[in-house]
Amino acid sequence: MTWFDAIRLAVRTVRGRPGRAVLTVVAVALAAALLTALLTISTTAETRVLDQLSTGGPLAGIKVAAAAPDPTQIDQDNAKPGRPKALDAAAVRRIQGLPNVRAVVPVVSAPVLVLTSTRTKGGHRLNPFFDQVVGVDLTKIAQLPVTLVAGQLPALDSLSQVAVTEGYLERLGLSRLDAPRVVGTTVVLASPRLVNDGGQTRYQGRWVKMSIVGVVAQDAGDGQFLATTAAVTQARDWSASGDDHGRLLGQDSNGVVSPYAGLFVVARGLDNVAKVRLEITAVGYSTSAPENLIASVRRYLRVVEIVLSAVGLIALLVAALGITNAMLAAVRERRREIGVLKAIGARDRDIYRTFLLEAATLGFIGGALGAFVGWLIALAVAAVVNGYLAQQRLSGIHVSLPLSVIVGVLAGSTLLAFAAGILPAARAARMPAREAVSGV
Amino acid sequence: MGRVPGTRIVVEGLSHGYRSAAGDVSVLDGLDLVVEPAAHVALTGASGSGKSTLLCILGGLEVPQQGSVRVGDQDLAGLSRIELAAFRRETVGFVFQHFGLLEALTAAENVELACSLAGVRPAERRRRAAELLEAVDLGDRARHRPIELSGGERQRVAIARALANHPELILADEPTGNLDQASTERVVALLERLPADHGCTLVIVTHDPAIAARARRSLRLVEGRLVERPAAGPGVAAVGATRS
Repeated sequence: MTWFDAIRLAVRTVRGRPGRAVLTVVAVALAAALLTALLTISTTAETRVLDQLSTGGPLAGIKVAAAAPDPTQIDQDNAKPGRPKALDAAAVRRIQGLPNVRAVVPVVSAPVLVLTSTRTKGGHRLNPFFDQVVGVDLTKIAQLPVTLVAGQLPALDSLSQVAVTEGYLERLGLSRLDAPRVVGTTVVLASPRLVNDGGQTRYQGRWVKMSIVGVVAQDAGDGQFLATTAAVTQARDWSASGDDHGRLLGQDSNGVVSPYAGLFVVARGLDNVAKVRLEITAVGYSTSAPENLIASVRRYLRVVEIVLSAVGLIALLVAALGITNAMLAAVRERRREIGVLKAIGARDRDIYRTFLLEAATLGFIGGALGAFVGWLIALAVAAVVNGYLAQQRLSGIHVSLPLSVIVGVLAGSTLLAFAAGILPAARAARMPAREAVSGV
Repeated sequence: MGRVPGTRIVVEGLSHGYRSAAGDVSVLDGLDLVVEPAAHVALTGASGSGKSTLLCILGGLEVPQQGSVRVGDQDLAGLSRIELAAFRRETVGFVFQHFGLLEALTAAENVELACSLAGVRPAERRRRAAELLEAVDLGDRARHRPIELSGGERQRVAIARALANHPELILADEPTGNLDQASTERVVALLERLPADHGCTLVIVTHDPAIAARARRSLRLVEGRLVERPAAGPGVAAVGATRS
């Protein structure tokens, strides 16, 4: 008997005994559903945690400061930069040309005096304060560590729209839940420049009234305001046009004002982050990336995944014992059928193969059903979690069933069922052919 | 349907027994028998007299404990499990009282199963099954499952399956035990034609004297030995059988 014939016979036999098959399949399906749900949830949790770590940006992102590297800080996640060093277009081109670099996004920033009419939660007026406005190419926002919390990002060509960070909310005594309250309010950003007025040095301000269109969590640059590159460049140009030749913006040891506050470099995959950081260090700039933190978190998440998988596997093992039990009972019940098969010429190995495949068929059907049900369970859990996250004004999670989980659960349940069928199959194969005549 | 030459059975000094809680039970005791090719033999005897045991040994379902059993040119006592399976597959066709059909398969698939065990290609098996079911007048029931067939129809499917691999020997164990009169007549008639139509040797175990009487040779098992009954047909000879 060929394998194909044996598979056909096994499938037909399983179909022909639905009563027994259904109970066994349900046991396997429940275990497979548990395993699928646990693996899907743990995979989603891993994605979510890593997303949070990277504040929405790519995990393989590296921040490059307009500063020379400090040799003692090279391996640190949050390396303290060395002395200031201008980050110009030539340096950007050089970094762009490094191997394993997928993208480079320049970040500009400018100092601003902030005046707001929005009152704090306690009803007080907020005193003017100095801060930084960060400008990025908003078309490349997906490559930056920026997450929208409320509202929207400034329009791509806007010079009068700004998004604020949670730091601004804190100044107002507001929490993330209150983020929508500041959307639609205005803020005045004054860019300073130093002028000599008859031997007297004084500040001149360029006052721009800006609408707050959104609240973001961002780690692209230091500052509580996010705007377009064009808006921030105008502010910088104003500050740089003072009589101090831009000293307000900071100069490096050569007296050069850096055109960029920093860069956000995306490496080709997490595994290349360390390599790219070393290459940028060799170019002469200080870098930071949460690679050690991410590696540690991933290790912990892997442990959680292993523990959850073990729980699911134990359930599958219990189901496998159920298959063994059901198949042993089937062998006892089908003594005469086995005898008849032998009487018409089946070899021991034909019987063995048929029973093994019957067990595997039960495992496969249970696994497929379980993977589907497990996915539904994961979706239900995600719906509950998303409800909670929405209450907390946090972005929701998206559950997807990874192909590796489907394949793993299907293969696992089939192979386990195959193994569970070994003992009953061996017993059936050893059964004397005489049972064809005497079996009941 | 192709004719096969039939097979000669020679049994000499066959003794066989079972071990039970009450002690060893001897079932066959120095039994001798010769059946010529294409013979039609009926085997009768009281319950527990060893009819089924003899049938099992002749069909290679059980290995003889003592004595020799030759079917054609094969000495069954010396065959391994694999060789016995091959012997059953290639030489013997069984017909059981309980029909022995697999409930999950259709009539045609039950017949095809015997062919698939012999390694026959799918197209050839389908052709063979259709041909055999047609021969037993069940061509229109090929796609029916055993549960959808009457007892007589099931037994005819079983006969078709027994013939699937062109056996030289057909062994029928109480083939009409579960059938009504009309079905019995039809099944017996079908079986009786096998030696002539297919050239195979036919051994029927039966409790029914009428069926035994229709055989060309009738043997009765008494105390582990065969007793020859009258009306032995042509081409049949007994060695060591006591004439009653």
